Amino acid sequence: MNKKNNVLSKFNNQKFIVLLVVIALFIFFSIMSPNFRKYTTVLSILDYSYYIILMAIGVTFPLITGGVDLSIGTGLICYSLAGGYLIVHCGWPTWAGMLVSVLFGVLIGLLNGCLVSLMNLPPFLATLCTCMITRGLGSLCSKGFGIPWPTAGTEGSWFRNIFKITVGETKYPIGFIWMILLVIVMGFVLNHTKIGRYTIAIGSNKEAAMLSGINVKFYHTMAYVISGFFAGLAAIAYSAVFATVQPGSGAGFELEAIGGAIIGGVSASGGVGSISGSLIGVFVICLLKTGLPYIGLQANWQQIITGLVLIGAVLVDILKKKKAVK
Amino acid sequence: MEKIKQNPLVKKVGFNRVVLCCVLILMYVLFCIASPNFVGLPRILSALNYAYFLGFLSLGVTFVIATGGIDFSIGPVMFCSALVSGYCLTSYGMPVGVSLIISIAVGLLFGIFNGYLVAYWSVPPFIVSMASMNIAKGVASVFTKTQSVSWPQGASDQGWFRKLVKIGNIPVGLFIFIAVAIICAMILNKTKAGRYILSLGSNKEAVRLSGVDVKKWEMLAYVICGILVGIAAIFFVGAYTTVQPGYGDQYNNEAIAGCVMGGTSMAGGLASIAGTVIGVFIIALLQEGILALGFTKDYQLIITGIIVIVAVYADVVARRRKN
Amino acid sequence: MGEVILTMKDIDKSFPGVHALDHVSFEVQKGEVHALMGENGAGKSTLMKVLTGIYTKDSGSIIFEGKEVEFHNAREAQDAGVVIVHQELNMLGHLTVAQNIFIGREFKKGIKIDDKKMNEEAKKLFDKLNIDIDPTETMSNLTVGKQQMCEIAKAISHDAKVIVFDEPSAALTEAEIQELFKIINDLRKQNLGIVYISHRMDEIKVITDRVTVMRDGTYVGTLITKDCTKDDIINMMVGRVIYEDPKSKSMVAPDAPVVLKVEHLNAGKMVQDVSFELRKGEILGFSGLMGAGRTETARAIFGADPKQSGKIYVNGKEVTINSPEDAVKCGIGYLSEDRKRYGIVVQKTVAENSTMAFLENFVKGLFIDKKAEKDIAQKYVDSLATKTPSVDQLVVNLSGGNQQKVVIAKWLVRDCDILIFDEPTRGIDVGAKNEIYKLMNKLAEEGKSIIMISSEMTEILRMSDRIVVMCEGKKTGEIGIEEAKQETIMNMATREIK
Repeated sequence: MNKKNNVLSKFNNQKFIVLLVVIALFIFFSIMSPNFRKYTTVLSILDYSYYIILMAIGVTFPLITGGVDLSIGTGLICYSLAGGYLIVHCGWPTWAGMLVSVLFGVLIGLLNGCLVSLMNLPPFLATLCTCMITRGLGSLCSKGFGIPWPTAGTEGSWFRNIFKITVGETKYPIGFIWMILLVIVMGFVLNHTKIGRYTIAIGSNKEAAMLSGINVKFYHTMAYVISGFFAGLAAIAYSAVFATVQPGSGAGFELEAIGGAIIGGVSASGGVGSISGSLIGVFVICLLKTGLPYIGLQANWQQIITGLVLIGAVLVDILKKKKAVK
Repeated sequence: MEKIKQNPLVKKVGFNRVVLCCVLILMYVLFCIASPNFVGLPRILSALNYAYFLGFLSLGVTFVIATGGIDFSIGPVMFCSALVSGYCLTSYGMPVGVSLIISIAVGLLFGIFNGYLVAYWSVPPFIVSMASMNIAKGVASVFTKTQSVSWPQGASDQGWFRKLVKIGNIPVGLFIFIAVAIICAMILNKTKAGRYILSLGSNKEAVRLSGVDVKKWEMLAYVICGILVGIAAIFFVGAYTTVQPGYGDQYNNEAIAGCVMGGTSMAGGLASIAGTVIGVFIIALLQEGILALGFTKDYQLIITGIIVIVAVYADVVARRRKN
Repeated sequence: MGEVILTMKDIDKSFPGVHALDHVSFEVQKGEVHALMGENGAGKSTLMKVLTGIYTKDSGSIIFEGKEVEFHNAREAQDAGVVIVHQELNMLGHLTVAQNIFIGREFKKGIKIDDKKMNEEAKKLFDKLNIDIDPTETMSNLTVGKQQMCEIAKAISHDAKVIVFDEPSAALTEAEIQELFKIINDLRKQNLGIVYISHRMDEIKVITDRVTVMRDGTYVGTLITKDCTKDDIINMMVGRVIYEDPKSKSMVAPDAPVVLKVEHLNAGKMVQDVSFELRKGEILGFSGLMGAGRTETARAIFGADPKQSGKIYVNGKEVTINSPEDAVKCGIGYLSEDRKRYGIVVQKTVAENSTMAFLENFVKGLFIDKKAEKDIAQKYVDSLATKTPSVDQLVVNLSGGNQQKVVIAKWLVRDCDILIFDEPTRGIDVGAKNEIYKLMNKLAEEGKSIIMISSEMTEILRMSDRIVVMCEGKKTGEIGIEEAKQETIMNMATREIK
């Protein structure tokens, strides 16, 4: 007898469906454009997906608590600019710059957590503000200039090899392996550790969680710290793939990450979500982003379509809930 | 302090608004002291130029926040309106008047889109905003083929629309803005629509149980916002020349800042147009002053972010105390 | 049975305007199932909330296991071994059964939560209680009955010594009730003290050893279950002296037309095949205990909640009501029982609240005619004797009774012919209560028809021309005021039609 409960199996169904969508999109673009079928395209898709995947992994936590973190996009640019500035203009070693980026992310995550959990500000508003603040801070750190992290071949550029290595003539996207590892690790954290468990509890029924003696304020804050931490990692991934990091950019990244997470099964009202689902959802977004130009649509169509897909995913979520009530 | 609160004139205008006016004047004085070239009409006019479009954005979002919702797609939608209508003007050769109408139409469409999803499908407002924001940016970029658009100069024969902003040194825009603000205040305080919008922000279920079609009125708030955003676009291009795709986020926060500072509560049900107007002037002056003191736009972003956090927190605390 | 494990002595508790517990004493022995009964508002829940630390008592003492104790919150009580299984379950729907049971005190293997061990321990717990539930099942997928069993298992896993069941069988099927009884019997054998709050006479008879009855915040008496009859209990529940005389006869003309007819209304579990008629000028009392489905019925009629089937006729013509808007257009008004949440718009004034249901009538051209609005509001403030400094006062600043009057005014402004009052005098002081009674009588005299949902027996008997009684979603009785007696009504309210 199938003892697996309904919610979970429907949820696994959603992940499966989204995976099918990913494959279908890939096939579709491959058919429509011979240029799409090349290995370099796959490399490109993966390169440009790392930072979004990392953001999505992190933002899944605030989303599961029923909140949101809108600061991850401009945040990662800020952290990258800060770390990059120290590397390029202050002569810091690359690893130190990377560390600063991540710590900066954790700090802003802590700020978000305090605003939402301790001061009870609405999450979208609190993180909207930190989004603006990090945008300004980032620009200040780099004195308004774009920062190129050490380019391939120069000293200190080893960090790019984390994501892609060149062996002979071919490049290998080993970054993807790290992503899978992180998904496994964070999936473990979400489902098998206290932090993850209590994050879900808070999103499911904050009152009941409090009555059960859980330190809700602490764990609620931690969800945002995790989001900030991964925004910091995303900063490194972004710098590794793009030549220059420009201040003032970053707005819209969060849509891709949050959209990916919701497509992958995270519920906007909280309590439900998986890391692997977020990963698959992000690939839908990345495929659209990369593939649309190949069928002649300008890259900016991707923004429109991503927005519509996000609304679609949420409507599906709402309709599912309505049916469940009946 | 108490004596000031009891003063009849203060009571009529509202203690909060008196405080805000004082803040505004104080700010101006401080900026003048800190930077001598701040004194004089040009600076004031420059700040006013900023205040017009920001003001319309703020007025629009006031209606949405009054229902207890939020719309932070207003900045990008404004840009979308400006770009789409501007492109029609420069590349399709449409007359300026038609372009202005297109501008309002674009804002209206987004307002309908947002309002419909929030009111009839119960999609969380922040998700609708997020999606709308990016759709607006995408539409603008696609429409103008990612080129920026420059609206005609005042001297050209198509440039009459700039007279809406100012004629010579007369701030025409100010009069129009105040007039629209007064209309908004009348809608909010004196019409059925405004009554329902505020009431549903306070207690949606109670209004529904009184036999009112709350979905209709909730959507209307977003539609009004959309129209005002379209108007904001007109005043943006009227004051400045070139519009570039991909921008607009900064103004979201500033518009919300003006609104919340003015006494509109994020929880819904309580809104003040007069407060929003003063709040917008403060924000506009602040942005102008920051630049005048030699600081960059980045400081604007940081300071505005902090202001909104403080203002909303003050609202949260005040509400908790009332309960 | 025998040794006393818990004694509550002389417990007194007051809230503003209401003396909820008046020197109540209650005692539980080890290995006994002790029923706690009484009407709505008798004080049963309050007493238990005082026990488990949710409320602080004003005076009196609680002695648990021989020592005087004072619990400051639910957690403290739980740690000491005193647990309530609430009517509204406090669970985390998105987590599994085992995860819910051990929330906050998970088994760990290093950093990893040992879900496997939790599932095993949960299974052991269930086996001990003879419950068949899969610990890996997601909580929200279980029936309410099974969820409740999980809550019970959770209580026991805390090493409970006293368990309070608050209306445990309300949401259970027949089969699940039998399982529940098996569990309770097991617990009894394990020498736990069990408090069983319920209004279901048949169950009380089967499962309990003693019955304590409360009434109007006081302790009435304790009976040994097998030695008493249902009537004995009912007498204790209602046996009060009614100071105001019940209505002696119906004020409705015998040839009065039927203004509202409800046929076979079905709206979920709480409204099952309800049919009744309301005549012109009549006050129809809706009696029953909490959870009987009266509010749900009213809301279904008013279109506030969706219904599955049923026909509604207003003045003989069938009408379609799918929303409050439709109902109001048919001339039906509804005063909900939760004034603050559903009745008044808190940020608005008395005048603005008064016209909320009929605003279109006060619009002149584009704008609201505020003078007309204030005039009509003042008219009703005067005629209802609403205590407010002015009609521009924010309605949230008025006292409960006066807020209620503003809500009533709202429907009078709309000139509704059919009014549904849901607990119209709840939380209102005696003086204001009488005014509202006078008002309802006047409205009935003027030809309006009223449905009055009330949990107060005195109120039902005083105001109604006819009484409909509901129990667990079904209409279990209907009686004219001349034949009505407290005991009869209570009998119908505790009867279940299977």
